[in-house]
Amino acid sequence: MSAAPAVAELRVALAGNPNVGKTSLFNELTGSRHKVGNYAGVTVETREGAVAARWQPTRSVTVVDLPGTYSLTPVSEDEAVAFRCLHGDEGPPPDLIVLVVDAANLARNLYLAVQLCELGRPLVLALNMMDVAAAAGVPVDAAALAGALGVPVLPTVARTGEGIAGLVAEICRFGQVPWDMAEVRGRLLGTPMPAGLGALPPARARWLVAAQASETLGLTGATADERAALAGVDAGELRALASSLVIGRYAEVDRVLAQIGHRGGERAPAMDRSARIDRVLTHRVWGLLIFLVVMALLFQSIFAWAEPLMGVIEAGIAWLSGQVKAGLGPGLFTDLLSEGVIAGVGNVLVFVPQIALLFLFIGLLEDTGYMARAAFLIDRLMARVGLHGKAFVPLLSGFACAIPAILGTRTISSFRDRLVTIMMIPFMSCSARLPVYVLLISALFDGEARVGPFTQASVVLLAMYVLSTASALAVGAIYKRTLLRSPTPALVLELPPYRLPRVRNTLLQVYDRTADFVRDAGTVILAMTVVLWALLSFPRPPEAVPAGDPVEVVAAVGSPIEHSLGGRFGKLIEPALTPMGQDFRMGVAIVGSFAAREVFVSTLGLVYGIEADDEDNQPLRQALREAKAADGRPRYSPLSGLALMVFFVYACQCMSTLAVVRRETRSWRWPLLMFVSMTALAYAMAVAVFQVGRLLGY
Amino acid sequence: MAASLADLRPGGRARVVAVADAGSGGLTLRLLEMGFVPGTVVTLIKRAPFADPLEFQVRGCHVSLRAAEASCVRTEPA
Repeated sequence: MSAAPAVAELRVALAGNPNVGKTSLFNELTGSRHKVGNYAGVTVETREGAVAARWQPTRSVTVVDLPGTYSLTPVSEDEAVAFRCLHGDEGPPPDLIVLVVDAANLARNLYLAVQLCELGRPLVLALNMMDVAAAAGVPVDAAALAGALGVPVLPTVARTGEGIAGLVAEICRFGQVPWDMAEVRGRLLGTPMPAGLGALPPARARWLVAAQASETLGLTGATADERAALAGVDAGELRALASSLVIGRYAEVDRVLAQIGHRGGERAPAMDRSARIDRVLTHRVWGLLIFLVVMALLFQSIFAWAEPLMGVIEAGIAWLSGQVKAGLGPGLFTDLLSEGVIAGVGNVLVFVPQIALLFLFIGLLEDTGYMARAAFLIDRLMARVGLHGKAFVPLLSGFACAIPAILGTRTISSFRDRLVTIMMIPFMSCSARLPVYVLLISALFDGEARVGPFTQASVVLLAMYVLSTASALAVGAIYKRTLLRSPTPALVLELPPYRLPRVRNTLLQVYDRTADFVRDAGTVILAMTVVLWALLSFPRPPEAVPAGDPVEVVAAVGSPIEHSLGGRFGKLIEPALTPMGQDFRMGVAIVGSFAAREVFVSTLGLVYGIEADDEDNQPLRQALREAKAADGRPRYSPLSGLALMVFFVYACQCMSTLAVVRRETRSWRWPLLMFVSMTALAYAMAVAVFQVGRLLGY
Repeated sequence: MAASLADLRPGGRARVVAVADAGSGGLTLRLLEMGFVPGTVVTLIKRAPFADPLEFQVRGCHVSLRAAEASCVRTEPA
C-alpha cells in the first residue's frame, strides 16, 4: 500500500460499548470542544470535534463520537446510526475506526471488535481502563491481543489521559503504514450469504440479515432490491443464519481470548466491589427504600430547587420588560416588545433551571451506574404498562414539568416506546397546574369542611394527582395496544460496575442539551408567545377605557381582553362551555392559559380587572366566590370548580410541551395529535363530571 | 419442558444450550449478542425485589433479564 500524503485531513469514528469510558476519551481527545450533530429523522446525538493541540497531532484529525452500542445489529436507532455512519451512509465514511474497549471486560467487549473487523475499514483498539483490569487481577497484554486480533491495540486510561498521546500518534500514522484488513476479514467472513445478497459488501449483507431477522429493517434504509432479496429467503432460515453469525463472532472472541491466555472467563472480577454495593442498593427492602429517597431527591430538585433560579429569571425578565416600557413609553411597539418578545424569551429561559437540573441528575445517575439499578428495581411495575424500566424517571419528572421530562425520554432506546412515554408525560400533573388547583379549591370549596381527618381541600387536591397518574398509565397502555402497538421492550439491561461520576462529562452534556432546547424548541416557543400575545391584544377596545375602579369599570363595559380575538373566541365557545359549568370568562382564561397553565390565574384576573398572580390571589378568590349569574345564583360552584380542575388534569394547555414534542419527534404530527386528543378528552371528562354531579344533586 | 435460565436459584449456575426462537427474532439476537451463546456458563446473582427481573452474570458482566426473557435461554447443568 502506498503512503498517502500526510497532510490530508483524517476522519476518525469513535465506537464502543456503553460504560467503557468512550465519552471520557472523546472529551480528552477533543479538549471538550465539539459540536453536537443529529441525524435526519432521529434524535440520536453524535458529537464531532478536532483532536486537541495538546496531543500534538501531526495532521488535522476530526473525531466523530458514535452512540455507545453493544453491537451494530439494528435493535434500536443507536446501532442503526452507528452502522450507517461507519458504512458511509451518513456523510463521508470515516478513514479509521477507533474502538474503545473495556480491558476489564474483554469477553463481551471484543464482540463489537469482531463485528467492526468485518466492515474492512482500518481499525485501532483503544484498550481502556487498563488500571481497572490490572486491579481486578485480569491484566491484558496489549501486544498479544494485537497479534491475536490482527489490528493495532493501544492501552489507555481515559480518566487520567494516560496513553492518549500514543493513541493519537497511531491515528496520525494512518496511510503511512500498511493497514491490511484482508487477513482478518478472510477469517471472519466465511459464512455464505443467501443468494441475491451475494453481490453486496459482506458486512452490509450480514447487517441486513440481522435486521430482517429482528424485524427492524425499517431502521436500515435498505434499498428496494435489498428488500426483495431478503423477502425471498425463508424466515426460519434467515433467523438461524442471523443467530449463527452471532455465535460465530463469539467463537472468534473465544479463540482470541484463548490465544492471549486471558483468565477472565466466566467470572466478573471488575464487578466484585459493585456486587457488594448491590447487596444494599438492590436489596429487597433497603434497595427499594434508597430508590424512593433517590427519586424523591430528583423530584425535589426539579420541583423545588429549581424554583429560586426560575424566580431570578422571571424577575430579570420582568425588570427588562419594565425598562423597555419605561424607555419607550406606552404604545403598540412597546407592548409587542415587552409582552410578546421579552415575555417569549422568558417563557423559554424559565425552563432552563429544571432542564439543567434534571439532566445533571440523570447524567450523574447514569455515570455512577445507578440508573440501571433503578430500572432493574422498577421494571416489574413499568412492564405492566408495556414499558421499559427506563421510562420511570421521565414519567416521574412529569410531575414537576413536562418539558425536561420529555427531553429526558432520550434514555429510552426504542422510538415507539419513547413516543408512548412522551404521549403519557403531559397527563402527569405538572407544577404549573398547582396554582390553578389552588385558586379554584380555595375559592370554591369550603375551607372548614373535612373528609375524615383530612380537609376537603387536600382530598380534592390529592384526587387530582391520583386521577392524572391513573390517566397517564391508562393512556400509555392504550397507545401501546393501538397506535404505537409494539411488544413490551426486552429488558436485557447491563448492570455496569459502579464508578465515580465524571462531573465534567456530565456538565458538558447538561450544557449541550440545554443549549439545544433553547436553540430549537426555544424559537418555536418564542414565536407562539408572540402570536398568542397578538390574539389576546387585537383588536383593541373601540374607545378609551373610562376612569375609575378597574373592577367596577370591567363590570360595566367589560375588560379590554374581551375585545381581542382570543376573548371573542372565549365568548364564541361559551355555549360549549355551559355543559361543563363554565362561562365565557373562564373560556377567555382557558384560551389565555394555552401559553402555560399558570397564566390561567393572571388571565382570569384580567377578565375581572384584578391584578392576580400565583402567590397573591386573595382578591380574585373573593371575586370568584361572590360572582353572581344573571339569575342571581352564584356563577361558580364547587362542582363547576371540580369540572374545571378535571379539565386542567387532561387538557394540553402548554405550547412549550407541544414545541418540545415537535423537536423530539421531528414532526408536527405527534404534537397535533397530542393537543387534539387531550383537549377532546379534557372536554369530555369535564362535561361528564359536571353533568353527573348535577344528576347527583350537587 | 427443558430447563432454562428462569429456573435457576440465586447463586446457581447453568450452561447455555440454545436460545429458543422467542417469537421475536430481535430478542433472540439481543440475548445472543449480550453473551448468552451456547457453551457459556451463566450464574443467577439475584432476583429483583418484586421477583422479576433477574440479574445474571454472563461473560464477565452482569445483565438483567425478565423471567420471560430468561425462559428463552435453554440450559443444561454446568
